[in-house]
Amino acid sequence: MTLMTNVLQVLLLILLAPLVRGVISRIKARIQNRRGASVWRPYADVLKLFRKQDLVPASASFVFRLAPMVVFTTTLVVAAFVPLLHGLALLGVTGDFVLLVYLLALGRFFLMLGAMDGGSSFGGMGASREALVSTLAEAPFLLALMSVAIAAHTASIAGMVQWTMGQNFFQFSAVHALAFAALVLVAIAETGRIPVDNPTTHLELTMIHEAMVLEYSGPSLALIEWASAIKLTVVMALLIALFVPWGMASSVSALALGVASLVMLLKIAALVLALALVECSVAKLRMYLVPDFLGVASALAILAVVFTALMR
Amino acid sequence: MGLFETAAAKALASSGVFLFMTVLLIAAAKRISTCIALFSVQSLIITAQIIAVSRMHHSTEGFVIAGLVLSVKVIAIPYVLYRIVEELKAPRDVSSSTSSSQSVFIAAGLILLSFFAVRPYVGVLGGDQAMLAAAVALVLTGGFLMVSRKKALMQVVGLLVLDNGIFLAALTTTFGMPLVIEIGIVFDLLMGVFLMGLFVFRIRDTFDHLDVSKLRRLRG
Repeated sequence: MTLMTNVLQVLLLILLAPLVRGVISRIKARIQNRRGASVWRPYADVLKLFRKQDLVPASASFVFRLAPMVVFTTTLVVAAFVPLLHGLALLGVTGDFVLLVYLLALGRFFLMLGAMDGGSSFGGMGASREALVSTLAEAPFLLALMSVAIAAHTASIAGMVQWTMGQNFFQFSAVHALAFAALVLVAIAETGRIPVDNPTTHLELTMIHEAMVLEYSGPSLALIEWASAIKLTVVMALLIALFVPWGMASSVSALALGVASLVMLLKIAALVLALALVECSVAKLRMYLVPDFLGVASALAILAVVFTALMR
Repeated sequence: MGLFETAAAKALASSGVFLFMTVLLIAAAKRISTCIALFSVQSLIITAQIIAVSRMHHSTEGFVIAGLVLSVKVIAIPYVLYRIVEELKAPRDVSSSTSSSQSVFIAAGLILLSFFAVRPYVGVLGGDQAMLAAAVALVLTGGFLMVSRKKALMQVVGLLVLDNGIFLAALTTTFGMPLVIEIGIVFDLLMGVFLMGLFVFRIRDTFDHLDVSKLRRLRG
């Protein structure tokens, strides 16, 4: 039963990810007074792309074909590390928060390689920007997770989630507040949302993620799009699991899991709404301001780690 | 004690966390209006602390002070400052001499410094270490804001943050000053903000900008 729940939550993350994306773009459209596409549109997009021909540039090597698969696989594995409905995940080892950070980094690395292998100048430009953003985002990401790990005296994500569930909701810990603030900033950079990157842009000069996938088509593009949708949902689930896990099932019964999925749905909906509101009210940063943005995240993450010693 | 009271007590015990967050956010903020809103939030947190302290000590004076702080620091001063920003029609950024990430790093350093500064006195003065550190951190960050921000209005905001810190220090160590003194301080502050508002308009009219770093020569 526990195993089934674990498999179920990974499947939920993977299959619901395009819906989350669809809902975000729908809410954004509504805020901007447009009708917007159906919330099921990302599924249709992925299905359509899977039926199309995969065009590979003549200059590209096998890395170009390999990259989407690596991106998709690493994202799937990351999804298996995140608790969703109860305090356990399908995969979990000591120190898996480090593994999570670097699995995401591995995916990005291959996406960058694929983009440069495609041979277009925009691909190279997008890849170099992505390299800058991910280098700067890596330290605060790792430090913020580490501060939570130190506070919880455990090195596994599931352990941190269980520890937080045992805490009093109203006892706000400075470590968690700071780590949450840092992780939100990192998550925006990591998933390429608005102040850092615009996922709906058509202007090549400002693209980061979109510039990297310009050369991809057909099933490869479908894998990349699906993987980036999963990544967004997984990062949201990670934020919820680490900082507001209250409401997750403490026992594996049908009733508890039902309640837990309902609560989780509400929390994700709240995050989606917040994200849409932020994306509609904030302008994209200039590329040269992104290091400043992530510098704020680094300062917060470092302070969070120091506070683990101060607040003891 | 009901569930609500327990929750309120827990939340207040850790409200130093919120004060640290407002300090860091003010350091990161790029617009004057954001800083004013954050100052208002900060004053609201302090108001909640005054109410909690006066409830614990059963003092009616405390509630009067809380009402005073609420009306002046949470509502009146931020409103006046907003109006000034609106009326000035000047660029609304804080034009800091440090980038926002540097400011947050410095504010974080000041918070740590204040923790080490209050450590020897926590045992003597009593009170929560985090709260006392928050008071010192507010004073230090207020000073830092006044030094690093070039817009004349941000000097006002920095002074207000600094004053919040002094107020919080008095509250955590001696459970607040006598009512007469508090009333004096609050009205002094209100008058100060009005005067500085007038000064800001004069600076704008005479120099056509609010950048205090360019105010180096006397002009008749």
